[in-house]
Amino acid sequence: MKKMNAFSETLLRLSAVIDRDIRKFIRNPIVIGMSFLMPIIYLVIMGNSFQGKLQSLPLIVINHDSGRQARDLFDNLRAIEAGPATITIFQAEDEQAAVADVRNGKYKAALIIPSDFSKRVVLKSRPEVGLFLDNTDAISSGTITGVVNGAVAAIHSGHVAIREASDQIHVRDADLYRFVDYFQSLVPGVVVMAIFLGTLTTGVFNVVMDRFLGIEESYLLTPLTKANIVGGLILSGLAITTSVSILVLAVGMLMTGIPFPTNIGSLASLLVVIILTTLCLQSLMFVLLGRANHPRLVGVLSGFMNVILFFPSGAVYPTASLPSWLKSFAMVNPEAYAVDALKALLFKNAGLTTVLADIGFLMVFMVVMMMAAIMLFKRTL
Amino acid sequence: MSAESKAVEVTGLTKKFGEFTAVDNVSFEVPDGEIFGYLGPNGAGKTTLIRMLTTLVIPTSGRAKIAGFDVETNSADVRRQIGVISQAMTSDLDLTGYENLDIYGRFYGVPARERKERIKYLLDMVGLSSRAGELVAAYSGGMRRRLEVARSLVHKPKILFLDEPSSGLDPQSRRVMWELLRQIREESSTTMFLTTHYMEEADALCNRIAIIDAGKMIVLGSPTQLKKEIPGSDIVSITVDGLSEGLVSFVKALPFVRNLLVEDETLRVSVDSGATSLPALMDAIRSSGGRIVSASIHEQSLEDVFIHFTGKSIREGEAKKVSLFIGAGVPQR
Repeated sequence: MKKMNAFSETLLRLSAVIDRDIRKFIRNPIVIGMSFLMPIIYLVIMGNSFQGKLQSLPLIVINHDSGRQARDLFDNLRAIEAGPATITIFQAEDEQAAVADVRNGKYKAALIIPSDFSKRVVLKSRPEVGLFLDNTDAISSGTITGVVNGAVAAIHSGHVAIREASDQIHVRDADLYRFVDYFQSLVPGVVVMAIFLGTLTTGVFNVVMDRFLGIEESYLLTPLTKANIVGGLILSGLAITTSVSILVLAVGMLMTGIPFPTNIGSLASLLVVIILTTLCLQSLMFVLLGRANHPRLVGVLSGFMNVILFFPSGAVYPTASLPSWLKSFAMVNPEAYAVDALKALLFKNAGLTTVLADIGFLMVFMVVMMMAAIMLFKRTL
Repeated sequence: MSAESKAVEVTGLTKKFGEFTAVDNVSFEVPDGEIFGYLGPNGAGKTTLIRMLTTLVIPTSGRAKIAGFDVETNSADVRRQIGVISQAMTSDLDLTGYENLDIYGRFYGVPARERKERIKYLLDMVGLSSRAGELVAAYSGGMRRRLEVARSLVHKPKILFLDEPSSGLDPQSRRVMWELLRQIREESSTTMFLTTHYMEEADALCNRIAIIDAGKMIVLGSPTQLKKEIPGSDIVSITVDGLSEGLVSFVKALPFVRNLLVEDETLRVSVDSGATSLPALMDAIRSSGGRIVSASIHEQSLEDVFIHFTGKSIREGEAKKVSLFIGAGVPQR
């Protein structure tokens, strides 16, 4: 057999590992389709599940008072229903039936305005309304309490709308960047999720499957080194995952109306961030699953990792508002840096310099994890 | 035997999994060009031994050299010298036959032109040229096995390791496999180390055979030498109700009885001709008051050879250790 030089031989081996993996992947079109469709479905489901602010919470009102203040309170609630639509108002006469309906989940809360409410407001004699809340749903009950408090407080001013008083200090919003709606704000997170999902069907997943099927033995017997095997699989995973996530990004931008960056710098930076994020997550999963021998382990661990990496990433909730211990975790979470960089590039028209810190972290994380992945990989059975 | 001519040198090789000793202080040498058979029942440690020799499992103690390279300290060099056909089918189902060979050739750094010629030659040799473009998932078990033989030769290894190469194949495919291995031997004088639990296979292919049991090597010799040590050619098994020591001594003394083993109430009698000895044996037992429950004849098998050398039947392999953490997923050895 002719001798090749060591570098050419390494390239030939790496290309063979990548080629093998990609050929096997593309012969599984259902997985390719799902890898693309699932993040897009996530975008649609998440966009419609959270909706940013809460809306249409069912509130039943039992008004026993025909006085002006009670009418004002009711009108104020109607104004909120017609405006931000936080609540949907229902009316009834029977208090007990209304409270029972809150218990059985028909309404989120029941507001009872007693017959002496207006009189007590006028007399300033501790006026009260009763609010029965389904407090098992903390977010809804908190929001309804706020709405009712607002409506009650507005009785005195006569309006729900904030009236500008000359003696009060007002804050005027000044948006630094173009308007970003809730749907659009989810796109960076969905791209990062597409990358994460890619790591579950490529890279280390194939090692686990080969081990489970007993095929791993065939290439452990060859001169492939640990670095050839780990590096090759990470690179083939990179090729597949990057292609899928760029497609998800493009479709996500089209769906939500994010304008495409026109300068080459931003486009190149987007590509760099996506590639680095993929390499970080591929290497991280290799560290965690490099010795696993059952696909069930991939299933269990990946569901867990998806949640703990995604939610403290800033994709749906700002990392600044996280409790300090979780904020510390976000400091080492590669998805947090990826989301931050993608948001800057997509919404702030930032260039490479703005996201240098994010890129720097991702590079360090990638190098550390890749070295750990190669070291921890076992070359024997 | 000069140092250069040893394909395999094994000295005191041992592998323990916890308390269980899978390979127990085994020593032997295989000269270049020999076909060496490692024969034993399931669970005897054949696969563990071959895995140690092919760098997949690290020995607990002892040494093994393949083509002069130590399996522990020069594992990368060992892997360049060997081709392996594992016991389980290990070709990629999602790749075509050609792709399996091509990718494997690249793992070994075989240059493109040489690889192409070699793959064509090997596919012709194993009779898969016309099916080379099909996915391996569409192959029969025999075809897949033949492809794996071709794959193991793509880099022209000096030593070929075969772990139960005909296991799971039908008798016809098994014979095709033997022919193929003989052809490889003739064309390239490749050293072959094969494990098997088929006496017939070891007999058909091997220059020398090592018989092993419970990790220990019991005897080593050529098939002819080993056969000479086993008296008779047939085994007559007769179960006698209320077998007595007197009856055993009586049967043992019969002139045509070459050897006798007793298992519970069954006499296992080695004879030269089962067909003529059976009636005579039955008459003799009845005449001395024995009540025969059943009788059968079979040709000597591995089991009989094994019984001769170990004094006991081939047992099922030890229960495999299964992870407590992941259930029945993957046996740990």
